[in-house]
Amino acid sequence: MYATPWIDLRICRRPGLERLHPVAAVLELRYDLMVPVALRVERLTKRYRLESGGTLEAVSSISFEVHAGECFGLLGPNGAGKSTTINCVTGFYPASSGSVSVCGLDVYAEPKRARQLLGVCSQEDTLDSDFRVSDQLVRYATYFRIPTEEGKLRARALLERFGLEEKANEQVESLSGGMKRRLQVARALISNPKLLVLDEPTTGLDPGVRRVLWEILMHERSAGTAILLCTHYMEEAERLCDRVGIITGGRILDEDSPRELIRRHMDMDEVQEEVRPGVVWKRPPNLEDVYLKLTGTRLDEDARES
Amino acid sequence: MRLPDSLWGVRCVWLRYFDVFRKSLRFYLVTTFCEPILYLLAFGLGVGALVGTLKVHDMQVSYRSFVFAGIIGQTVLFQGFFEASFGSFVRMYYQRIFSSMAVTPITLSEVLWGELLWDATKASVAAEVVTLIGVALGNFPPVALLTVLPLAFVSSLLFAGLGLTVSARAKSIDEISYPQYLIVFPMFLFCGVFYPIEGLPVVLQWVAWALPLTSVLSLVRTLTLGFPFQPWAVPILAVWLLVLVVFSRRSMFARLVK
Repeated sequence: MYATPWIDLRICRRPGLERLHPVAAVLELRYDLMVPVALRVERLTKRYRLESGGTLEAVSSISFEVHAGECFGLLGPNGAGKSTTINCVTGFYPASSGSVSVCGLDVYAEPKRARQLLGVCSQEDTLDSDFRVSDQLVRYATYFRIPTEEGKLRARALLERFGLEEKANEQVESLSGGMKRRLQVARALISNPKLLVLDEPTTGLDPGVRRVLWEILMHERSAGTAILLCTHYMEEAERLCDRVGIITGGRILDEDSPRELIRRHMDMDEVQEEVRPGVVWKRPPNLEDVYLKLTGTRLDEDARES
Repeated sequence: MRLPDSLWGVRCVWLRYFDVFRKSLRFYLVTTFCEPILYLLAFGLGVGALVGTLKVHDMQVSYRSFVFAGIIGQTVLFQGFFEASFGSFVRMYYQRIFSSMAVTPITLSEVLWGELLWDATKASVAAEVVTLIGVALGNFPPVALLTVLPLAFVSSLLFAGLGLTVSARAKSIDEISYPQYLIVFPMFLFCGVFYPIEGLPVVLQWVAWALPLTSVLSLVRTLTLGFPFQPWAVPILAVWLLVLVVFSRRSMFARLVK
């Protein structure tokens, strides 16, 4: 349940963790020992058998931890292994090797108990269009053994928070893309999860809706929920994540707070970019620069096979 | 009462389906019950008036009774297959509810059991309705209502297994039409829904017996019309049931879980 002291002394210096345990931070205690580990992924490897006969190693021996009240981002291009990692974290795909535990529960040995603590919002629209907006949440709650009455209360509160209360009795199909997205995140929260797993939650959303979602996620984080966020939006990662792992080709190349990543990889105060012939922009380096430096700008990432 | 975890999961899935059914009852009343009733009317009354009585297994039986029993088998076949093939394809591929349920405390295995059991429930209720009409019109003895139900459930499960296999292996929803025309319709036409297969050439009879619907119909007619019991129908059904249920679940796992 708690991080063991000998595993990773680096955790001590993780910026952001002091926020999770302010008293410990003030007393300069090992706050990493006091903040429960919500997700631990250890040397996770996932190989697929391809239809052509070969195998594809989508994820190669990655390890990371997400503490309660922390947001960890997996930042990487399409085909980097983000969604595969998520499918292993939820226990849906069996790992080829390595282990995944949620609040100390092995997702493969005890899938039901582990998933009871898990809220998942996948990249695709997985809303159950046979149910209206509110019924949908109540129905989903029953999968977590939440009684209908309790489910209704939670659904009402969530719809209010997500600005969907007026749509409570609408058909899902009548919602806009942004509303569906919000509903899907709301649905992931109905079981009050300890760990929230979000795969590209804001793809295709307009800036206003994105802000609203970010605020909700930040609120969840400060309430102690651990968040695993997969994204390829730099701004999102920079804003939301206490720590970011940059993943490409199924490996985590580096992992740190956004600020530290920028400091370590971009040895400069200012980046100059020629955006149009003759027009040069000067700006401080950002996460995108680190990302591009580490992952490269090649377009053939999707075609990686072995 | 707290059910064992996995039974609870299956029940959850089944209840989800039942809830959808209940909410759009008017739609399902038409799709589930209209079709067999139309067949009953057309073949039972229409063709029945033309044919009169048949002599099968040294028994005199009205064509209407014969074909009513056939429609029980046909209902089980169509309702089980279509709900599990087209229905589950929509749920699995378009609505993605299999994968969204299977990241909650419900496992994919339970989702698939729930799917199969629901399909079987729905098809056997439809078969019961046909039986009820047959009883009401005096074609079957009332006890058939009790005896047909377990047989209808088991055979619906079998055809649901066929449907789910097809759905798991179809790349697009259009591909479900292949087995529909190559397996389901031939069974419907050649396994003895409308006529005794004893009239077919011997080779076709063997083919008919190899397909599961013939055994279903043989047992249905034993229970409803008192036709002689053909014991080999039982193992044929059991083997098909086992193979299709196991195979459908494996195929769906192979499709969804990488």
